[in-house]
Amino acid sequence: MEKDELKDKIFEFVQAAKGKKKLKEKDIIKGMAEKTGETPDNVKKAMREMIDIGRLMYSYGGGSSSVEIPSEEYLREKGLIK
Amino acid sequence: MAWLTEQEAKAKRKTDIGPPHYSKMLPPVISKNYGKWKYHEVFTPGTMVHVAESGDKVYTVRVASPRILATESIRAMLDIADKYCDGYIRWTTRNNVEFMTTREENVPLIKKAAEDAGYPAGGIGSGLSNMVHTQGWVHCHSAAADASGLVKAIMDEVYPYFTEKKLPAKTRLALACCVNMCGAVHCSDLAVVAIHRKVPEINHDLVKNMCEIPTTIGACPTRAISPDPAKKSVKINPDKCMYCGNCFTVCPPIDIHRPEEDGVAIVVGGKVGSLRKGPMFSKLAIPYIKNNPPRWPEVVSAVKNILETYANDARKHERIGEWIDRIGWESFFKKTGIEFTYQHIDDFTFARDTFRTSAAFKW
Amino acid sequence: MKKYETPLLNELEKGPWPSFVKELKKAAKTSEMANDEVGQLEKSFRDKRGYWKHGGIVGVLGYGGGVIGRYSSLPNEFPGVAHFHTVRINQPSGMFYKTDSLRTILDLWDEYGSGLTNMHGSTGDMVLLGCRTEALEPLFAEVTSRGWDLGGSGSALRTPACCVGKARCEWANIDAMDICNDLTQTYQDYVHRPAWPYKFKFKIAGCAVDCVASIARADCSIIGTWKGNIAVDQDVVKDYAKAGMNINAEIVGMCPTGCMSYDGKTLTIDDENCSRCMHCISKMTKALRPTGERGASILIGSKAPIVVGSLLSWVIVPFMKMEPPYTELKELAEKIWEWWDDNAKPRERIGEVIELKGMRSFLEAIGVPPQPQQVLAPRKDPFFFWKDEDLNGKK
Repeated sequence: MEKDELKDKIFEFVQAAKGKKKLKEKDIIKGMAEKTGETPDNVKKAMREMIDIGRLMYSYGGGSSSVEIPSEEYLREKGLIK
Repeated sequence: MAWLTEQEAKAKRKTDIGPPHYSKMLPPVISKNYGKWKYHEVFTPGTMVHVAESGDKVYTVRVASPRILATESIRAMLDIADKYCDGYIRWTTRNNVEFMTTREENVPLIKKAAEDAGYPAGGIGSGLSNMVHTQGWVHCHSAAADASGLVKAIMDEVYPYFTEKKLPAKTRLALACCVNMCGAVHCSDLAVVAIHRKVPEINHDLVKNMCEIPTTIGACPTRAISPDPAKKSVKINPDKCMYCGNCFTVCPPIDIHRPEEDGVAIVVGGKVGSLRKGPMFSKLAIPYIKNNPPRWPEVVSAVKNILETYANDARKHERIGEWIDRIGWESFFKKTGIEFTYQHIDDFTFARDTFRTSAAFKW
Repeated sequence: MKKYETPLLNELEKGPWPSFVKELKKAAKTSEMANDEVGQLEKSFRDKRGYWKHGGIVGVLGYGGGVIGRYSSLPNEFPGVAHFHTVRINQPSGMFYKTDSLRTILDLWDEYGSGLTNMHGSTGDMVLLGCRTEALEPLFAEVTSRGWDLGGSGSALRTPACCVGKARCEWANIDAMDICNDLTQTYQDYVHRPAWPYKFKFKIAGCAVDCVASIARADCSIIGTWKGNIAVDQDVVKDYAKAGMNINAEIVGMCPTGCMSYDGKTLTIDDENCSRCMHCISKMTKALRPTGERGASILIGSKAPIVVGSLLSWVIVPFMKMEPPYTELKELAEKIWEWWDDNAKPRERIGEVIELKGMRSFLEAIGVPPQPQQVLAPRKDPFFFWKDEDLNGKK
């Protein structure tokens, strides 16, 4: 799978979990590897690239960390949108 | 220092470089004799010397700090280090500051300069070191009591045991402002831990949006929490709740703070070193003392009472836990005059290990 | 700047112990943020409760740790602490500082934050207390461009910490500072990007005195030890006696294994029975020192009471050589993390998972054989598992 396509699929996966389950990195890596047949390593790399540019972000709440889609507020603060 | 523009800052931004290598931070005498120390001698509770195989000596002056430090205060400490310690300084794991020098004649000068700045020398050897503590009301959402305020009030009272007076063995004080214990309270000689005493109240409307129900249920160590499907929330069985507040950590709308009921417990007898008896957990001495800011006089006198009973009764080199082990808990309560209550008898996870299974005991 | 009356906090400026209130007020002279911290704290002292919300979602781009969100629940009354985030700066191993190097951090902190610090936080980081969200990125850029980085927070590898080790202690059996630095650098990714069920801490102590509380406060405790005898300098023993030490009461009588004797002239140690507790060595440091092979005991699982009770670490590898690049230790750590990650529910520490799944499954998964040094005593009840390989005599 092309990396961009994989990234889009990861984004959809995280979006689908929004408000239902706090995803940890591992949930995404395992879930997407199963769904797409990609290696966990490739999923991890794609996910990390998305985090590095703010398409996804690490979140914290309820005493533990998770991965989420950033809020507009976050993107604005990071100068990623105007 | 010239400040970067935002663009420049972004361009220079690095990630995952980690801390500077420690070798860049070591005084020359430390670098030279790294791994080749022969022995050390404690002169006073605030001063000691380490002697290397090479014959080199490094003198250390250890001083107190309140852990919360303004940049202005740290600069004052750095000025002392520049003047007397060739521009090096160190912090200990218990938030003391250490000034090191190869010149013995600098020792009293450092001591005086630090004391003039408000940071007295002490904390080495058989006595009190700094009291490790957590953030309290200064900076934590979870605090059931303040931290720095209690520590200040306690250390003011037992101050001589930091600067000059000896105890039978080193004695480690700690304070945690809730049972999360961001500090080694559970293995300290004498520690204060803030507690709640009432079942939390749930704001059901907020739980719906803010909390994961399974995580909230799973957070309870006593299985007191169960689903409340009608309210799309949870309910708490008051007979099982031990007020730990872990549900509040994972689900903020479960509010456990009750300013008039919260307070502190005092635990004793823990240690981390393997010397003699091995590491020990601290055990409950006093189940509750109310919050009484700004100086918590009841807590201060309780701490002092335990410390002085120990000082008068223990043998040389016996830590508080070893002393209690020798005399027995029944003697501990007798000698300290502390009341023994139902709260002292464990009914949590490891309870059966604490019941007496011998017909031998004291009156 | 708003002037707050602080009758309660003023009480804590009195007395001989250094006053944190004085520190807060020093910073408040030039920082609105620190000033409102003083105001809010006075209110807390009056009302006997804190006014902080749960940590929020803040951080620097790409990292999931190092910054802990903190917001006042009274932002209108105390706007200076509306945002009051914590920034953890990873300390150099051993917490030695060159003054000019530390001044750089102080200058940056005055520019971008409240000017308040904790030296240090409980885990070991330098803690910068009170930063606004919009200041995080510029501060991070400045900090990293000058050779410093953030520490860990959240469900990540927390900033490793160690004792002073070989830098200034004759008892260090292992190079605690180097191991600490090496683990920190090797696992930067795990420090900054929370990938695990919960936190994981390393603490490295040079000997069993454990000045970094490793056995009580680290999921993985690395504690220096040795295998050889204790060398005795009998002349120096005599000096201790002359200086007033009661060697029979203070040393021989307090030895937990009863492996020492002293006839008034010679101190004898039955080394085979010594458990290396450090009591005699720590009290007669000029006369006694370990000899022979050095290494570390690896212990696992300690933590504070949340959730089902506090734990001390348990011995898993009684002795491991500790030479750079510490490959054996790292391979073990990686196996530990893999098993933990596969078996833990969210917010379960390694010690709790071992209790639930059994020490045997854990030891088998990480490839460590059973050894009597791992237990205080064998089990007492005759209930135990037999696996096929046990029955076939393979184990």
